[in-house]
Amino acid sequence: MNDIAFLEKKAYDLRKKVLDTCIRAKTGHVTSSMSCAEIMAVLYFGGILRHDPKRPDWADRDRFILSKGQASPMLYSVLAEAGYFDEAQLKGFAQKDGKFGVHLQQSVPGAEITCGSLGQGFGFAAGMALAAKMDLKNYMVYTLLGDGECYEGSIWETAMFASHQRLNNLVAILDRNYQCVLDFTENFLALEPFEKKWESFGWNVVRVEGQSVPALLDALHGLRSRRRPGPTIVIADTTKGAGIDFMSCVPLWHGSAPAGNEAKQAMAELERNTPNA
Amino acid sequence: MPNPISQRDSFWNKIYEIAKDDRRIVIVSADMGAPALDRIRRDLPGQFVNVGIAEQNGVLVASGLAREGKRPFFYAIAPFAVFRPVELTRVNNAIMKIPITIVGVGAGFSYEDSGPTHHLLEDIAVMRAFPNITIHSTSDAAMAAAVAEQSCNWPVANYVRLDRQVLPDVHAQTQLDFKAGFAVLRPSKQAQLVATGYMVHKALQVADLLKKDGIDLGVIDLFQLPCDADALVKQIQTAPKLFTLEEHFLPGGLGSAVLEMLADRGAALPVGRFGMGNPGSYSYVYGGRETIHASYGLSPEQIAADVRKALK
Repeated sequence: MNDIAFLEKKAYDLRKKVLDTCIRAKTGHVTSSMSCAEIMAVLYFGGILRHDPKRPDWADRDRFILSKGQASPMLYSVLAEAGYFDEAQLKGFAQKDGKFGVHLQQSVPGAEITCGSLGQGFGFAAGMALAAKMDLKNYMVYTLLGDGECYEGSIWETAMFASHQRLNNLVAILDRNYQCVLDFTENFLALEPFEKKWESFGWNVVRVEGQSVPALLDALHGLRSRRRPGPTIVIADTTKGAGIDFMSCVPLWHGSAPAGNEAKQAMAELERNTPNA
Repeated sequence: MPNPISQRDSFWNKIYEIAKDDRRIVIVSADMGAPALDRIRRDLPGQFVNVGIAEQNGVLVASGLAREGKRPFFYAIAPFAVFRPVELTRVNNAIMKIPITIVGVGAGFSYEDSGPTHHLLEDIAVMRAFPNITIHSTSDAAMAAAVAEQSCNWPVANYVRLDRQVLPDVHAQTQLDFKAGFAVLRPSKQAQLVATGYMVHKALQVADLLKKDGIDLGVIDLFQLPCDADALVKQIQTAPKLFTLEEHFLPGGLGSAVLEMLADRGAALPVGRFGMGNPGSYSYVYGGRETIHASYGLSPEQIAADVRKALK
């Protein structure tokens, strides 16, 4: 199995874990998690993040800040898959005696922050990156943003700050799935032209097909060598609900899990779409 | 006796001295300065960062720095330091328990002629609602320096509300007890007045006025919330009558906090609260802080008259 095929399959394995977790819990942001499956697979299993599941507090680990905290079922699935905790704990997601709920919480091994308030994680990540600069540490800080959270003013405060401070150890990945709760972003309040906005804030901008493992690997590989003076953002064009056709591009699926026949159909679609690695 | 200096200068002078040896200390400034901060920028440039007038990012960056072991001081004009980023303070500092120090200058009507945008009359109510955040409300320069020193190792997040004006010394000779969180400036068996910040000075003036009438009014400076409530209630119970005085709206403020501490311990005694109204109202009165206070009926003479009446 080559690396790309391995990661493409891994993304679908993660999707299935997320779906199973959310179906059991009857809640969770399924579609927000599906759109970032390839991003997360590449970061954690594609050799991008330097991390060690046996030492979640390793001082020199790369930091990963999930700023779109709604995708916590995906991060929890990734962390379980990587061995940060027993996968059986996923079954308790958002249920009585469970260890974690719908939004991200810092008590989970491997989760750096409590998150769910949009526009929060990004600035926190910039603070961590600044600390690394001050202490001459080599770790990188990666943060995953949602496009919806770019409506928050705090995102742009941080964007301005990070480029001025030349935080080239900060890498943002923007899960551009084009949807919020009620509607498509470009219908109700346009975010485009996104690249120009980030460029004008002083960021190195790369725009890629966000469901493409090779494209993501290409964009994220080598940023550690810091050839550029400022921070980098990878705008990853994705599909909200990717992998489950009937949940894709349907705004009102935000924040809910399929049940009954729809649950079966969703899992069947993921099985069918899983590449044969 | 040296001329008193502002709480701001006293606070940052102390931080400068500590920061020279303690690389953990980082100032995150929302474009706010001070002479001592100029020295930090000159001598310790790696420990000062100007985030601009962007308080949300200021709290976030400070919290990220703190997670990596720094002791950040986020500095802005008080209403903007507190209210603009408050939901981020809630997540990062109350929920995640990340210890940063939020330094706000401009308690109460310190920015007297700046109008209600710059007045600060709700911050105690807001900040004391959060677990894992301590409030330090300073009444003089010596206290500001002591709070600065404590802030470098305070176990949870810390909100310091500094007065902007130069106020007389009241604590220069006292060793402040940060376990208790209050200081008895004048004991009395007759009646006591609990105040904070600028109002501590007014409380002393009121006590002086009443002394002429043979009334012995004790004064307690409650400078920290939460404080040692058991100890404070015990102190309050040394006199049969209590008053509170704050440059803050009454709902949720210092007086409310004292009432809660008393009620929770079954300590029943008459309490009179002085503050900027219940419900409060904002002020467009100009001509100085005391003119503004008088418009709320809070001149020293008026308070003394009200206390006198209540004690009859």
